[in-house]
Amino acid sequence: MAKPFQINPLKLSQPMGALLAFLGIKNCMPLMHGAQGCASFTKVFFTRHFNDPIAIQTTAVNDITAIIDGGDYSISEAIKNITAKVAPDLVGLFTTGLTETKGDDIKGATILLKDKQKIVYVNTPDFEGGLESGWSLSVASIISQLIKPQERVNPNKLLLLPNVNLTPIEVEKIKESIALFGFEVIALPDISESLDGHLGEKQGALSSGGVEVSTIEALGDAGIVISIGESMRKCGEKFKTVQPLVQHFHIDGLSGLIDTDNFYKILMDYKNIKTPPSYVARWRKRLQDALLDTHFLIGSSSIVIADESDKVYSLAKAINEAGANIPYAFVPTKSAINEYINAKNTVVGDMEDLENIIEQCEIIISNFHGERIAHKHHKSIMLRGFPNFEAVGNGMKNDVLYEGSCYLLFELANLIRESREAH
Amino acid sequence: MVNRKLIKELLSESACSHNKTKKVSCDRPKPGATNGGCAFEGAQISLFPYADAVHLVHSPATCLGASWETRATLTSFKGENNTVLGYCTDVTTNDIIFGGNKKLEESLEYIIANKDPKAIFVYETCVTAMIGDDMDNVCARIEKKYNTPIIVVHSPGFVGNKNLGSRLGGEAVLDHLIGTREPEEIHPYGINLIGEYNVTGDMWQYIPILERIGIKVISTLAGDGRIENIQMAHRAKLNVIVCAKSLITLCRKMQEKYNIPYISISFYGKRDTSNAIMSIVNAFGDEALIKKAKMIIKEEEEKLENSLLSYRKILNGKKAILNTGGNKSWSIASALQDIGIEVVATSIAKATLEDIEIAKSYVPILMKSPPNEQAKLIDEHNIDILLAGGRSLYTAIKKKIAFVDVNQEKKVSYGAYSGLINLAKDVTYALNNPVFSIVGTKAPWEN
Repeated sequence: MAKPFQINPLKLSQPMGALLAFLGIKNCMPLMHGAQGCASFTKVFFTRHFNDPIAIQTTAVNDITAIIDGGDYSISEAIKNITAKVAPDLVGLFTTGLTETKGDDIKGATILLKDKQKIVYVNTPDFEGGLESGWSLSVASIISQLIKPQERVNPNKLLLLPNVNLTPIEVEKIKESIALFGFEVIALPDISESLDGHLGEKQGALSSGGVEVSTIEALGDAGIVISIGESMRKCGEKFKTVQPLVQHFHIDGLSGLIDTDNFYKILMDYKNIKTPPSYVARWRKRLQDALLDTHFLIGSSSIVIADESDKVYSLAKAINEAGANIPYAFVPTKSAINEYINAKNTVVGDMEDLENIIEQCEIIISNFHGERIAHKHHKSIMLRGFPNFEAVGNGMKNDVLYEGSCYLLFELANLIRESREAH
Repeated sequence: MVNRKLIKELLSESACSHNKTKKVSCDRPKPGATNGGCAFEGAQISLFPYADAVHLVHSPATCLGASWETRATLTSFKGENNTVLGYCTDVTTNDIIFGGNKKLEESLEYIIANKDPKAIFVYETCVTAMIGDDMDNVCARIEKKYNTPIIVVHSPGFVGNKNLGSRLGGEAVLDHLIGTREPEEIHPYGINLIGEYNVTGDMWQYIPILERIGIKVISTLAGDGRIENIQMAHRAKLNVIVCAKSLITLCRKMQEKYNIPYISISFYGKRDTSNAIMSIVNAFGDEALIKKAKMIIKEEEEKLENSLLSYRKILNGKKAILNTGGNKSWSIASALQDIGIEVVATSIAKATLEDIEIAKSYVPILMKSPPNEQAKLIDEHNIDILLAGGRSLYTAIKKKIAFVDVNQEKKVSYGAYSGLINLAKDVTYALNNPVFSIVGTKAPWEN
């Protein structure tokens, strides 16, 4: 009998992805249109993951408004109560399964409020898609609703569209690497300054950093856009509808030698330069050495990965370059990238499915929920993905470009060694 | 179906002290100005600790995807511990259009065929309430077919807050489980622990003491709980509500239906633990039992004081401010006092009228608006340590005083006598840690 439901879900919801996207905009109040629990669960989830306060409010739909309100009332009340206390540059309004089942007209509600508060709205029911699509749908809405069209482009202005899996430090490293080539680079969203775990002056109710709304509005003259991860491809295409003169480049991942080579090739070809900054070349040599240093351990191991599709793709790609055998990869939702993941079997499934094949692997790469399963079966785990409730420093895990790929390979190889000593 | 009459009754509980004065009602949440969990979360908190039952959440991704395996409610159950597992029907667009009954039925069939649980709790959530799935009917049919108790908990998040959800969970247990099994013998000093979820093993700190006195825990709702035990809860002689007001309705109804009296107690701190034990034995009124309890309390308190000696040298006379919500505003204050700390002020911003009354008896200054008051109080009273939620961390760093995050998921139990030693350790670590004065140091380029 096929399992008709989920046991120990890997899947996270669209509204959760939407929240993270809006947290990458400075002075933003993410507003979840649903019952109070939707926002509360999500807030606690990311507070524990990032070990930092998470800005979010809820329209607090109750049993009365669930039936008689088309959304206008609870949304306008929420805006009234939020703006009574703080002055957000933007409210990011996103729906949940509850309010999508009701069929609320959030676009209409937003138009009614346009003189009172700048709002971006997005439909993110949690009975469709997942974390990646919630994030990318939000980015697409930000692009189409905020960016003002411009006639000309600035060839040195680069719009970076990172996927939801990239950590704050990864976004920062990618931005810095692009800037080395003389670009003005803007990440949308930019969680590198909001969810990076920095001690601020005081704790505000709004997002603590990120890309400014005025910067987003002025993005219309970007001459080049780079989308990273399959889930973000459509966002790059969406930007091209706002600015048809833009050159759009897409890469599926940024971990490992080959994908990082492709990334730098894009930048060098665009700039028509033959040699990269010396910093880039030096890190490439270190990665070459890291691949050789780690290939013996990684090449003799078997590894199972469970994470979001774009993250599984790039992890598998990077460790496979050092010879990792990946009998199974588990992803939470359908994605066009799933068939390109470097694993013998890629399954849309849950953590129980992972547990069922656990004896076929030596190491698990997965989130917090994988930890208990790994310990139960005396396996070692490398923690990646959401959530990671107990370990600290999640925002500073770097698996991208030549540099991050080195750290990734060394961490994995050392884990394999320790695991063999211990078990 | 959501039972509106029941919700109304639960929201105006006659046994709640505030409903006698009618000062505060259980309000609806305010859009844009609401914190805290929903009714489903409350139901989850109160029932998920039953480790031998499967907890199936009939919902789309958020309800369970964001919430499973988040609470350290420990169990001694030897079989598969369902407390940490996440069962979700993962309602998708197709189910919204055609209804989720079929998926629910197939899921229940699968669980019974593959998992063999003692019972299945099925949680109704917002979306499945909106699409009108007839969960009662489906579950009743499967229950009859396989003779496994299936309990529907009508807890869609939009009906109210966590507290209401816990009450709905309690009602479901009362209607469906309590009184459905008879014990082989009836213990003269049998109690039910209500509202104790055994977070970090809290109840394991005091149950051995109760057992030595001669008290037997018949069942729990739901810490380290078993379905068979809660089915026999009606044969207990006393209901003991532990530090939680949400399940008072359940206890009042059990009093009416089964003639079981109830008491409300706290096991935080030395004095409260001793008082709690005495309240239980006094409720039975048996002289021999009372005498034995007094003797064991004396032993335990002496043992505790010996263990605390080294900490007292550091903690005695230290001054603290406590900023947390609900019953913690006084229960932790009391525990702190028991390890020698002077609690100068506590927050009543999120406390009920009942909690405020109790807090008054422990702490001299009650803060109505801690963000505006605590910085000033730290200066005025030479405070050594601030115990609060993460939002107050900046205040502590600015004032260069020690900080303990009391709202963070705790890793060890602070319950009863032995838990107090853990609290003393954690506070001592914080006081000895230089981090709070170093981290706020100005950078060389700052003035």
